[in-house]
Amino acid sequence: MRGLAEAFRGRPGPIVAATLIVLLVVYAFVLPLVTADPFSMSGMSILDAFSPPIWMDGGQATMPFGADDQGRNLITAMAYGLRTSIMVGAISVVIGLVIGGALGLVAGFVGGRTDAIIMRLADVQLAYPALLLAMVIDGIATAILGRGRSNEMAIAIVIVSIGIAFWVQYARTIRSSVMVERDQDYVAAARVTGRSNTAILIQHILPNVMAPVLVIATINLGIAIITEATLSFLGIGIPPTYPSLGSLIRNGNNFLQSGEWWISVFPCLLLVALVVAVNVLGDHLRDHFNPKIRGRT
Amino acid sequence: MSEPVLKVRDLSVVLERNGRDFPVLDGVTFDIAPGEVLGLVGESGAGKSMTGIAIIDLLVPPLRRTSGTIALSGERLDQLSAKRMRRVRGKRIGFVFQDPMTSLNPVLSIGRQLTDTMRRHLPLTRGEARERAIAWLTRVGLANPPRVFAAAPHELSGGQRQRIVIALALCAEPDLLIADEPTTALDVSVQAHMLTLLRELHEETGTAMMLITHDLGVIAKMADRVAVFYAGRVIETAPTGRLIGAPLHPYTAGLMQATPAPDADGAMRVRAIPGAMPGIGALPPGCAFHPRCERAQAICREERPPLADAGGHDAACYFPLVEEVVS
Amino acid sequence: MSLDDVLILNAVSKAYGGRASMIEKAFGRRPKGLQAVREVSFTIRKGEVMGLVGESGCGKSTIARMAAGLLAPTGGEIGRNAAMREQMIFQDPFSSLNPRWRVRDIVAEPIRTHRLRPKKAIDERVAELLRQVGLSPEDGAKFPQAFSGGQRQRISIARALAGEPDFLILDEPTSALDVSVQAQILDLLRGFQAELHLTSLFITHNLPVVRLMADRIGVVYLGELVELAPTETIFHRPRHPYTRLLIDAAPDLDATDRSLHPIPGDLPDPSDPPSGCVFRTRCPFANERCAAERPELRTVETGQVRCHYDLDLSQRAAA
Ligand SMILES: Nc1ncnc2c1ncn2[C@@H]1O[C@H](COP(=O)(O)OP(=O)(O)OP(=O)(O)O)[C@@H](O)[C@H]1O
Ligand SMILES: Nc1ncnc2c1ncn2[C@@H]1O[C@H](COP(=O)(O)OP(=O)(O)OP(=O)(O)O)[C@@H](O)[C@H]1O
Ligand SMILES: [Mg+2]
Ligand SMILES: [Mg+2]
Repeated sequence: MRGLAEAFRGRPGPIVAATLIVLLVVYAFVLPLVTADPFSMSGMSILDAFSPPIWMDGGQATMPFGADDQGRNLITAMAYGLRTSIMVGAISVVIGLVIGGALGLVAGFVGGRTDAIIMRLADVQLAYPALLLAMVIDGIATAILGRGRSNEMAIAIVIVSIGIAFWVQYARTIRSSVMVERDQDYVAAARVTGRSNTAILIQHILPNVMAPVLVIATINLGIAIITEATLSFLGIGIPPTYPSLGSLIRNGNNFLQSGEWWISVFPCLLLVALVVAVNVLGDHLRDHFNPKIRGRT
Repeated sequence: MSEPVLKVRDLSVVLERNGRDFPVLDGVTFDIAPGEVLGLVGESGAGKSMTGIAIIDLLVPPLRRTSGTIALSGERLDQLSAKRMRRVRGKRIGFVFQDPMTSLNPVLSIGRQLTDTMRRHLPLTRGEARERAIAWLTRVGLANPPRVFAAAPHELSGGQRQRIVIALALCAEPDLLIADEPTTALDVSVQAHMLTLLRELHEETGTAMMLITHDLGVIAKMADRVAVFYAGRVIETAPTGRLIGAPLHPYTAGLMQATPAPDADGAMRVRAIPGAMPGIGALPPGCAFHPRCERAQAICREERPPLADAGGHDAACYFPLVEEVVS
Repeated sequence: MSLDDVLILNAVSKAYGGRASMIEKAFGRRPKGLQAVREVSFTIRKGEVMGLVGESGCGKSTIARMAAGLLAPTGGEIGRNAAMREQMIFQDPFSSLNPRWRVRDIVAEPIRTHRLRPKKAIDERVAELLRQVGLSPEDGAKFPQAFSGGQRQRISIARALAGEPDFLILDEPTSALDVSVQAQILDLLRGFQAELHLTSLFITHNLPVVRLMADRIGVVYLGELVELAPTETIFHRPRHPYTRLLIDAAPDLDATDRSLHPIPGDLPDPSDPPSGCVFRTRCPFANERCAAERPELRTVETGQVRCHYDLDLSQRAAA
């Protein structure tokens, strides 16, 4: 954390990105607290269906971005959707991080056959695009659990599928850092002192291998959000009856031809803004913590 | 006395930090006579390497030279254009760094690096350069020169690389060789080989040499004269025998006692100088050494002692140790 | 193992990289490993400082790591008391302290691991240790990056002392430091040595340093222990030609005799050591017997030597 303030000094791009992310998060988590869920009966009013954005003829002050086919106020719907997207993205990244992190730690520290098995598994998985993999996992889960599932179940499956699809990168990064750290003398000193392998791994090595992984996690957050949106857009992720940026875009897509462009374009722009901001931030952190670009001490 | 090969007067270098200048080198003055080996000795951070870097004009911001004249065989280097200075580096002043890898290009063969260096500075054809390169590899004591000629740096051992760096520094026949801790990273046995090689080449070519080290043993064997550095200043200079035999400055004496050695009755002794050298920007007033000095008095804390000129053995100290003249 | 023996190495060997690859297995070939340490035997007795010297790459660190239990030998055995507390101080002051730990936690780690003090007394003990190594208790709140190489070695020493070790291993603790800081660290170590009667293994390639620190010295060449004797015997009456040449190679402070004495020849490739006596390719006294027969480690008076001959080496060989 000490380096964080320094990491941003004199860099307008990352500062704008970080500010935008904060604003979006506030938007996504505060607005739903004070408005009714547009995806419940009380939250939509069919009379307002297809209401255009405020600056167009027939636009209403209460619906600055217009409303969709069910009369959902887009500014509220997008906040709900954004909230889902951010949560799905963040939780799936954490799942990937925990799975990949644990496997990477063990592979790098134990080495030998364990390492070989874990890394071959990673190689196999890498041969499939993450999106495809998430689709397959989602499909398998649906086959096992049946179609008649609740929204919560669907979301959980999406989260887990995306999480699993991304563990490899974390595992590989952590593994290579662990292999560097485990040969450092401070690890040997802890061994001579009589610390157990688990203690050494968790207390000594883990804090030293986190920085690069957290950077990857930031970058992956953008990818996870896109993946969720894509899955939902394809209709295999979050059901259209539940708000997410992907489901909003998918729904709006039906009306693109008939002139109600705002229903899909605004969620799209929001998605782009979020993902670009996350990526700018991630890239910046990566450069900042890259030992090849910057000395480690 | 003939003109010195290198004449450094009042060389000062500062480090700029938050808009303020902090002295790194302060009024460094010394000469190197033709064929002479001058040793620079002092603790880590005393400014030895900085002196070498300032002489070849490779200071980069935040470091900057603020005063001083540097003359190589009478020619003022401090007034040369960057372009002319580039021709001096490598051609007229050879440099050997502590870490041989920093002076070798990892992707070019040894032979290519040698011939390139020679052809940049000397009018040689490709064939002549190759012949000379092989001769240099033989001269620095490498077995099987044609094989080494074709080898990449990583195929060689640390000691072999250091020999090649020495060959690279000398192959353009410079007037002055600056060797910055050429043996510090090496063990005793390789160190003795390297020093022998440097001495042989020095005797053969007569190149004047500036030898930077913190090892007084290396100084005792190699240097004709010594300049002792402390906190960016030269605090004592003398012919090696006199400096080792009877140092004037308490710091020099302290450095000698800090080197483990057997005393007269054969028992080993070591005595550390208490405290640490002040860092940049933390220089005390007066003599920079006074906080660590047993002999310090009021004046040492207030006024900075000048480097007194006492006939070849000079010390910047108000209360020097008495010189028990042997000769 | 007698009560006074802290560590016994019995014909200990270590080969690196001996695992056969798939191709080698398929062709029934044995892989070419590197014999870093070969049949080294010595015993460290309670309260003594045993020194090990030798050139770079001769296997000193490998021996140290086996003594510390960090590496398993590939041959021979190491005898130690299972309940023994060990500590180790390393050469590189930068990699031997965890950059993410505060100094006070680094120093407290051995105390916590071995429960050497009640919880409430740990802070007090850490402050005391920091003072003893010449740092201030306030330094405990800082991270290692805030310290110079010499100060970091002091932190390492504080950590080692915190473990109240029965056996301390020092692998070139001053090689990365300049003479002045080295003297301070040696002073500190000698003080603790006198006060606590630590049993230790002190490794260095600097002969004056080991002469200052050790009671007995083992000389290692190409993975073999070629001589082992009390310190003053090693320096006044060395029995192995390598010991003599190594002593002569270090430049002393005598500016009147400027001769240098490099050991003739080059270190052989450690993966392809010479037949017979490993030192014969550089030995001024070598003959056919040395090429044909590997000398045994013989006991001579107070020491041991691995040489066929009884040479008088008390004087420096004429250059
Ligand atoms: N690029 C730099 N920026 C800031 N300070 C520097 C830089 N290079 C060197 N210094 C400082 O300048 C001072 C002199 O350094 P110099 O490298 O000349 O020391 P030295 O006597 O060669 O020491 P050593 O024995 O460690 O090589 C030191 O305090 C060092 O920390
Ligand atoms: N992990 C390893 N794998 C393969 N070879 C190794 C390994 N560690 C050391 N070696 C080799 O074993 C030999 C002995 O190495 P060791 O580090 O013990 O030497 P040392 O005497 O400590 O040298 P130094 O003075 O340079 O520290 C060397 O030839 C070295 O290259
Ligand atoms: Mg230097
Ligand atoms: Mg070693």
